[in-house]
Amino acid sequence: MQIERKNKVDEEIPTSSMADVAFLLIIYFMVTSTFAATRGLDFALPEEEDNPPMIEKEESVLIEIQATGQYMVDQQPMRLDEILDYLEPKLERNPMKPVIIRPDQSAPYGYMVDVFDELRSGSEKGVEVKNISIPTQREIEAFWY
Amino acid sequence: MDLKASERQEAVIPTASMADVAFLLIIFFLVTFQIEVDKTQVELPATGIRLEIPEESAYVSITESGVIRVSGGDEISYAVPSAEEVFSLASVVVSQDPTKAFVLKADRDVPYQYVDEVIDALKRAKVRNVYLLSQQETRDSAGGGAPGGAGGG
Repeated sequence: MQIERKNKVDEEIPTSSMADVAFLLIIYFMVTSTFAATRGLDFALPEEEDNPPMIEKEESVLIEIQATGQYMVDQQPMRLDEILDYLEPKLERNPMKPVIIRPDQSAPYGYMVDVFDELRSGSEKGVEVKNISIPTQREIEAFWY
Repeated sequence: MDLKASERQEAVIPTASMADVAFLLIIFFLVTFQIEVDKTQVELPATGIRLEIPEESAYVSITESGVIRVSGGDEISYAVPSAEEVFSLASVVVSQDPTKAFVLKADRDVPYQYVDEVIDALKRAKVRNVYLLSQQETRDSAGGGAPGGAGGG
């Protein structure tokens, strides 16, 4: 009597569920990952000195930011996009001319960043402001005259 | 003539490579995944100049209401009662690594007084590199960002 051979079952590793697991992991990473801001304006702080060099008021350009958001450059009201034009002839005469940003204590921080960004972007417009200073209130009280 | 029926082929969708693709995506996410040490929700100021911030920088965040949170870069940020605590943390961090960068993540509407106190604390702690965290300036924000217009003199 001839015995019929049973159908041979193929040996294989079941991988069909691997894609499901992998996609679940992808969804987890997509949901938990956030787009964090990782860029900003660099702002090198000067070394604190016991006897900082005195700068004559007449030598520097003072940009005051009022609480209302108005800019006063050397006591003159000015728009943000006018500041570099004002600085250009002064910086041509003295490239190291100090530019001091002095925001009002109640002015929103964003206005200070706008001015700082405008001054920093001057190098792209041919007006490089090399000497930007943002004194703190403590320094102003200690050294301003 | 006896015609032999052709072998019937089973219709299948080839899914063997799907796992490869999925694992490649997972590897991408794993490599690019960064632990965010500070998750404070703030409205960042917009700037045209934006430089890459070094990894593992210390963070100081200030919300619109003036709440300050700090992180040395290794741990999740925690709230501190005043800028004086920022000075304490910054002094410790700088003593361990004098070149450590600090990221100032402040809300654009926070009164400057809070930022001033933090910057002063960082200066006193002899921090050298500070980054003002910002978002990309768009044409709209550049146009509408100029406050006050032609100042009223």
